[in-house]
Amino acid sequence: MSMTQQAEPAVNTPPAPGPKQTDGRTVRRPLALRLLARPEVGVFLGAVAVLVFFLFAAPPVRDGSSMANILYQSSTIGIMALPVALLMIGGEFDLSAGVAVVTSALTASMLSYQLTLNVWTGVIVALVVSLAVGAFNGWMLVRTGLPSFLVTLGTFLILQGVNLAVTKLVTGNVATDDISDMDGFDQAKAIFASTFEVAGVQVKITVVWWLVFAALATWVLLRTKYGNWIFAVGGNKESARAVGVPVTFTKISLFMVVGFGAWFVGMHNLFSFNTVQSGEGVGQELIYIAAAVIGGCLLTGGYGSAIGPVFGAFMFGMVQQGIVYAGWNPDWFKAFLGVMLLGAVLINLWVQRTATRR
Amino acid sequence: MTDNTTGTHGAVLEDTAPDGDRPLVELRGAGKSYGNIRALHGVDLTVHPGKVTCVLGDNGAGKSTLIKIISGLHQHTEGEFLVDGEPVRFSTPREALDKGIATVYQDLAVVPLMPVWRNFFLGSEMTKGPWPLRRLDIDRMKKTADEELRNMGIVLDDLEQPIGTLSGGQRQCVAIARAVHFGARVLILDEPTAALGVKQSGVVLKYIATARDRGLGVIFITHNPHHAYMVGDHFGVLRLGTVELSADRSEVSLEELTNHMAGGSELAALKHELAQVRGVDTERLPEGDDLQAPVEAIPEGKS
Amino acid sequence: MDRSSHARSRRIAPFVAVAAAAALTLAGCSSGSGGKKSEEGGAEASAGKASTPRMKVALVTHQAPGDTFWDIVRKGAEAAAAKDNVDLVYSADPNAGNQANLVQNAIDQKVDGIAVTLAKPDALKGVIAKAEAAGIPVVGLNSGLSDWKDLGLLEFFGQDESVAGEAFGKKLNEVGAKSALCVVHEQGNVGLTQRCDGVKKTFEGRTQVVNVNGTDMPSVKSTVTAKLKQDSSIDYVVTLGAPFAPTAVQSVGDAGSKAKVATFDLNKELTKAIQDGSIEFAVDQQPYLQGYLAIDGLWLYKNNGNYSGGGEQPVLTGPAFVDKSNVEAVSGFAAKGTR
Repeated sequence: MSMTQQAEPAVNTPPAPGPKQTDGRTVRRPLALRLLARPEVGVFLGAVAVLVFFLFAAPPVRDGSSMANILYQSSTIGIMALPVALLMIGGEFDLSAGVAVVTSALTASMLSYQLTLNVWTGVIVALVVSLAVGAFNGWMLVRTGLPSFLVTLGTFLILQGVNLAVTKLVTGNVATDDISDMDGFDQAKAIFASTFEVAGVQVKITVVWWLVFAALATWVLLRTKYGNWIFAVGGNKESARAVGVPVTFTKISLFMVVGFGAWFVGMHNLFSFNTVQSGEGVGQELIYIAAAVIGGCLLTGGYGSAIGPVFGAFMFGMVQQGIVYAGWNPDWFKAFLGVMLLGAVLINLWVQRTATRR
Repeated sequence: MTDNTTGTHGAVLEDTAPDGDRPLVELRGAGKSYGNIRALHGVDLTVHPGKVTCVLGDNGAGKSTLIKIISGLHQHTEGEFLVDGEPVRFSTPREALDKGIATVYQDLAVVPLMPVWRNFFLGSEMTKGPWPLRRLDIDRMKKTADEELRNMGIVLDDLEQPIGTLSGGQRQCVAIARAVHFGARVLILDEPTAALGVKQSGVVLKYIATARDRGLGVIFITHNPHHAYMVGDHFGVLRLGTVELSADRSEVSLEELTNHMAGGSELAALKHELAQVRGVDTERLPEGDDLQAPVEAIPEGKS
Repeated sequence: MDRSSHARSRRIAPFVAVAAAAALTLAGCSSGSGGKKSEEGGAEASAGKASTPRMKVALVTHQAPGDTFWDIVRKGAEAAAAKDNVDLVYSADPNAGNQANLVQNAIDQKVDGIAVTLAKPDALKGVIAKAEAAGIPVVGLNSGLSDWKDLGLLEFFGQDESVAGEAFGKKLNEVGAKSALCVVHEQGNVGLTQRCDGVKKTFEGRTQVVNVNGTDMPSVKSTVTAKLKQDSSIDYVVTLGAPFAPTAVQSVGDAGSKAKVATFDLNKELTKAIQDGSIEFAVDQQPYLQGYLAIDGLWLYKNNGNYSGGGEQPVLTGPAFVDKSNVEAVSGFAAKGTR
C-alpha cells in the first residue's frame, strides 16, 4: 500500500532551491523613503516643526532654561506615555493610567505619614499597589474577554472613588499631609524629583529617567522575545496564541508595566510637591494615550515604537509651554493647543503617506 | 532536516500492516459538545508519520472543531485523544506544540504587520546573552528563516517586509516552513488552499508533499476533493459532526470522493426536485451514482 | 471559541459578582464610617446639643471630587448639624443638570430644608421652584450671589467673588506690587474669572492671566515657570486655589524670578507657608462658616422663624485676609482642616 501511496499522489517534492535569486516582487525603494516609513519619523519631523515654529514665535524658548522647563513638562507626560504606548502596541488601552498615578502617590504618602514610617516603606508599598492595580486590569481583561476600554473605565472610576474616600477616611481631609520632614524623604527626592545642573541650566531628573526608560523600552520592544510578543498579541492575538506566545502573560504584564509607570510618576509628584490632592490625575490618561498615538502607535495595536511617544510627549509639552512663552491670549490656550496638535498629527500623517506610497 | 530526525519514515512503511506502525495522533470516538449542542461526535482518526490524512467536509461539518481539539485550543468532551499512544488533554496550544503538533490556520497563520522573520520565529525566538541582557539573535534568525524558506522553495528579497504584504499562498508556505523547522511531527493545515488561486494552491500542495516526504504526519483539512486527492493517503469525510466516510487511497477513487463531498444522495434528491421546476434542464446534469465533475469545474475556495 | 469564552465568563461570573458585592460593601463602609464620624461629632457636642425635634436637611453643592475647599464647607455643615440635632444629607455633582437632580432627590425625601450652591442658577431654577412649592425652605451658599434673590431663596451665605478680587487688588497695591499674574486652574469657571476680574479692577499695576491644567501638578508648575520666564517683570503670582500656591512658589524658584506668591483660599500647608514667609498672604472666604451658617440658618428658620438679611442682603463670609500678623491664630484651626 505504501508503494501505491508513493507512486500515486500527483504532487511531488518542489524543485530544489536554486542559487540565490529574488522574487522580483519588491522594488528597492530609496533609503530616505524607507526611513520615512518608520513609525517614529513622522512624529519626529512634526516635533521639529513645532520646535522651529516656537523658536521663531517665542523668543524666551531659545533660552536653555526654558528648554529645560519644556523638557520637564514633556518628561512627566512622556514617562507614562511609554508604558501606555507599549500597552497600545499590545492591543489594549488603560483609561485608569491617570488616576493610578495619584493612587500610587496617595498610598506612599498616607502610609508613611499615618504610621510614621520611613518614606521608603511607603514607596515600596505604593509600587506593590500600583503593580497590583495593573495586574487586576490585565487579569479582568483576560478572564472576562471584555474590551479594555470597559475594564479600565471601571478601574478608573473605582480608583477615582477610592482615592477620595480612603484619603478622606484616613486623613480627614481630601489632601495628604506634608511628608517633607520625614526620614528618607531627601533620599527619595534625590531619585524621583531632584534637579541637577548642565552648563548652567537646571535640569530635572525626570528628563533623564524619561530618556533612560525610552531607551530601555526601545531595546525591549525590538531586541527581546517579550518585545516580539507585544507586537504579536497586538497584531493578531489568536495567531500569537496559536504559535505558542503566552498571550495572557504578555497582556497582564503590560498592564503591570503601566502600573510601574504610574508608580514612578506618582512618586515624582509626591516628592516634588510634598502633598497630594486626591482628586488629581483625572483626564491625564487621555493625554498619555494622545502622546502615544501622535507618536505613531496604532490605536488598534500591533504597530508602533517607543521612540515615537517620546517625540509625541515632547510635542505636547512644547505646544503647551510654547503658547505661554509666546505670550498669546490665554483665553485661546486650549484652541491653540488643539490646532497645533492637529497640525502636527497631519504632518505626521502626510509623511507616512508619502513614504509608503510606491 | 535540522531538528527533524524522523526522516523519510514514510517511504519504508510496510505494505500490509499499517497498524503495526504506531499512529502519532489518534482519536477514538472523540466528540465535542458546546452546552447541549453537539458539534462533533464519535470521530475516529489516525495520523501516521509520512502520510497525509485528509479531512473533508462542507461548511459546518465539524472540521474546525476537530482541528481545535487536536491543536489544543479546545478540549474534547467525549471519547479518547491519544498522542503516541498516550491519552492526552491539551489546555493550551503550547502543550500541543510541545508534543510536536503544529497547526497552520487558514486565517490565523501569521501576524500581518510583523516582518517575515519575526513571524517565522514568533513564540520560539532564538536568543543570545545572559539573562538581564538576553536578546534576540536577529542575524541568526534572519539567516535561518531565509535558509528554511529557500529549502521549501520560497525566495523572498526582504525578510523585513511585513508578512501581510505577501500573497496568501506565500503566507501559508511561510507558516508551513515554520512548522517544519520547529520539528513538528504532526502538521495540521486548516483549509490552506481555500482562499487561493489555482497556481498558488499548487504551490501549497507542493509544500504539503515536501512535509510528508520529510516524514511528518499531515492532517489536511479541505473541502476540495481534488486538492485532497492530489496529496492524500487517507480520506475522512465529515458530515454533521460525524465521520461519513473513512477510506485509504486504495479504497476510494476521486469520483467517489467527489460524490461523497458533493453530498451524493442528497444531490440526487435535489436533482429530482429541480426536475419538477419548469425551465431547469436536468437532462445534462450527471446521474446520482456517477456524479462526477471534471477537475476544472469545481470552483476554488469556499462556496 | 466563542462558546468556550462564554463558558469561561460563566465561570467568572460568581467572582465578578463577589467583587462587585465587595466593592459595594466597601462603598457602604466608607459612607457608613462617615456617619459614624458625625455620630462621634454629635456625641462630643452633646453637651451643647439643641433639644429641638430632629430635622432633616439636604446640602447640595457643585463640588468636584477631591476639592479641599468643599471638604471644609462640609465640615462646617456637619458641625452645625451635630449641634442643632439635624440629620444632614450631603450630595454633590459638578454637572449642573445632575446637581438639579440631587435637589429633586432631596425634595422627594421630604427634607425640612435645602441648602444649595448656585454655580449655574438657570439650571436649578426649576427644582428650586418645586422645593418652594412643596413648602421646603431653601437657602443659598457659596456661589450665586447675584441670583439668589431672583430665585426666591430665603437667605444667602457666601463671599462676593468680585468683592474678594477687588479686596485682593487693593492689598496688592498696599504691598507695592507692579505686575501680577493670575493663575486660573480651571478655564471657564465663573467664580475664578470673577476673582481675576476683581483683582484687575482695583489693582493699579498690570494684571495678566495664565490658564493651567489643574488636575496635573507638574503641568501647573511648568506652565507658571514658562510664564514667569516669558515676562520677567511679574512680581506677584496670584493663585486662585490653595493647593496651587506652593506649586507657584516652586515655579518662582525654577524660573529664577523674584516674584512673590499670594493666593485665594486657605489650607493647613498654606498656614505653614505663610508662617515661614514663602507665601505672602491668603484671602479666606471661610468655607466652614458658609456650611455652618447655611445649616444653622435653616434650623433657626424652622425653630424660631429667624432669617438673616431680610431676604434682601446676603451674609458675606469673606474676604478674610490671613498674613503673617494673624496666621498664628488661624493655623491651629487649619491643621484640623476646618479653616
